[in-house]
Amino acid sequence: MTALGKRARARPARGAPAGFRLFGRLRFGYLSPAVIVVAVLLYLPFLWTVYLSMTRYDGLGSPVFTGLDNYAKLLDDPALLTSLRNTLLWVAGTTLLPVGLGLLVAVLSHDLRGGAWLRLPFLLPYALSGAGLGLVWGFILQPDGVANQILTFLGMPGGDASFLADAPGNTFAMIAVWTWQQLGVNMLLFAVGLQSIPRAPIEAARLDGASGWSLFRHVTWPLMRPLTTVVVGLALVASLKTFDIVWVMTQGGPGRNSETLAVTMYRDVFNADQYGYGSAVAVLLTTITGLASYAYLRHQARKETH
Amino acid sequence: MERSLAPPTPLHHHPCKEAPMLSTRLRVTALSTGAVLVALTGCSSGGDSAGGKSELKLYNDKGAWSEYFDQMGALSKQSIGLGMKPVGYTDEPTYTAFIKASLRTKVKPDLFTWTTGGRLNEIVGQKQVAETTALWKQAIGSGDLTADLAKYYTVDGKQYCVPLNTAYWGMFYNKKVFAQHNLKPPTTWDELTKIAETLKGAGQVPFHHTTPSSLFSFVWFGQMVAGTDPDLYEQLGTGKASFTDPRVVKVMERWKSMIDAGWFANPGDKADPADHFKSGKAAMVMSGTWFNTSMTQRGLKQGDDYGFFFVPNVEPALPKTSLIFESGPLCSLTKAPDPKASERYLKWWISPEAQEKWSNSRGDVSGNPKVKAADPELSAITKQAADSKNRLALRFFELVPAPVLTAALDGLSGFLAKPDTYQKVLADIQKANEEYWKTQGAGG
Repeated sequence: MTALGKRARARPARGAPAGFRLFGRLRFGYLSPAVIVVAVLLYLPFLWTVYLSMTRYDGLGSPVFTGLDNYAKLLDDPALLTSLRNTLLWVAGTTLLPVGLGLLVAVLSHDLRGGAWLRLPFLLPYALSGAGLGLVWGFILQPDGVANQILTFLGMPGGDASFLADAPGNTFAMIAVWTWQQLGVNMLLFAVGLQSIPRAPIEAARLDGASGWSLFRHVTWPLMRPLTTVVVGLALVASLKTFDIVWVMTQGGPGRNSETLAVTMYRDVFNADQYGYGSAVAVLLTTITGLASYAYLRHQARKETH
Repeated sequence: MERSLAPPTPLHHHPCKEAPMLSTRLRVTALSTGAVLVALTGCSSGGDSAGGKSELKLYNDKGAWSEYFDQMGALSKQSIGLGMKPVGYTDEPTYTAFIKASLRTKVKPDLFTWTTGGRLNEIVGQKQVAETTALWKQAIGSGDLTADLAKYYTVDGKQYCVPLNTAYWGMFYNKKVFAQHNLKPPTTWDELTKIAETLKGAGQVPFHHTTPSSLFSFVWFGQMVAGTDPDLYEQLGTGKASFTDPRVVKVMERWKSMIDAGWFANPGDKADPADHFKSGKAAMVMSGTWFNTSMTQRGLKQGDDYGFFFVPNVEPALPKTSLIFESGPLCSLTKAPDPKASERYLKWWISPEAQEKWSNSRGDVSGNPKVKAADPELSAITKQAADSKNRLALRFFELVPAPVLTAALDGLSGFLAKPDTYQKVLADIQKANEEYWKTQGAGG
């Protein structure tokens, strides 16, 4: 270690960050196992998927190259349009509801005596896995299920509603379930954020007479922006790849009306044995996720600098 | 999912832990070498010996049947000295992907279950499935298998795999509900509709849709098309007929009118059809004879609690009764770890001794006509099915190729939720049908 340290100090890499200077050229050696693992397990399969998306392939034998046929077919596929619409609903729903409500609960319970206890019930559903969540709520929302029975008992409308049958109502129902689970973790992140922002500007604003909404809007909220960027960014990516809850609750049905892009991809590859077409959906999904994340983060970064 | 073959490495109890003086590099090297060695020894699968395998692994998508597979493993070990352990999957697409992948890699299963029809043709086309022509010839000669059944295991004149199970499809009915309303199993479609009317009139839901998932949304479709026009039904499987054919449209209209009449339980119900049936929520469930296993598991007895009848033809003028039938193959590969052992196992599997155990433990019919079912009702079903007045029709699930099936399951589950959409549903299935056969050579 000391020998390495001396050598690194003797010949510091010009312009390299301090951390890298320590190991000099050897750093490539140290990095290579991780780089190789990522390349083999992530980049190669991705390139293979891109290749498959330009073929016709049933998982057996050899793929037949068909150029951009699958992409042309994508444009002409009404099921894909439904899938895109549902994915957009998921993006809008999950960035608004779990994040928005999480923030609301965090703010309302902040500085409150016993606030931690108030937050606890919101956090508990987070302990459930996506599949378990879907299974339980699938039973609650099934026809004549618990939800219908409760509504009937209370004499409220919806006693005979088919929550998981009609589109886009079934997607809304699933977003509500997702919100029920995800609200807690977003709330927790915001609660931590609220506790870690500097007190001085808030106290100063209070002295200047700011309180309630205006204090939150003009002081607290801007101070929390870095955290909000992360929370919304995570919600955005998670919503774009929504799969497990939909798969367990409706399998994308009935009649493909609740499919998301991730469900369409799975269905085309593993149920319909259309590996090529499914790969094209995968590439489309990756492109959308990548572009959306890039656009969002860039937008946020600009806001930070201005 | 199967766990890693390597045994757990007890690193925290490693004797080397007592040597704190070892340098980090040495420790890392020792641990890595150890891990590699453990992985290598773990990879040489258990049960191997110089003379071949003494225990085979049977990969299957019937995870719920592990108990019955285990019983078969114990029996085979006793009978032919070759044990078997099941590796059961419960998710069908995951299982299919695994088997397909094994055709491309060196990790081959000893034995695996599959489906007949287009999917069997598909994997046989890869020239890796072990041929069983000699085995079939011998078994037909000795009366352990029938030439009728061989048809479903034949690709280009040669046989592949052996029947894992055989099942007939028909209607399970709740005997108590039938007795309560003075009803008897029907012999014509008219009688069946009268039963439904009577039950509905008395506030009892007549039929279950054999859902909850879209996997079985094909059941009534297949039965009604085959019972209306069995030739058309077969043509749908080979791309020679269109799903928008007026005769298919008529079947959908009839089905829709039955749904509109309130004869079916809600298709979105998440409860298992067997539970639904047990609770009496629906008086009848259309299913394969393997549904007996679900009944047995729920403590219901055939003959006392429930009965079974073959669904009469929709079209009374047909000369023979269309009888939906399925048979799942048990296969091995030419490059299986021990092909001889796998072949020996397949040969034993179709023997009367094995089939008697397999059929009676699950309470299902056997592909071996020599096997006497312990259950007299089941015996009667087998006898009735063998009647020359019947015409066997392969289950829709195996009849059509995967992309068409997927489109059909999606479409039909959509139809169950919204019966008004039947024309669009048929058009969507036909689109997938045309696309598939366009790439395969129509009518192939």
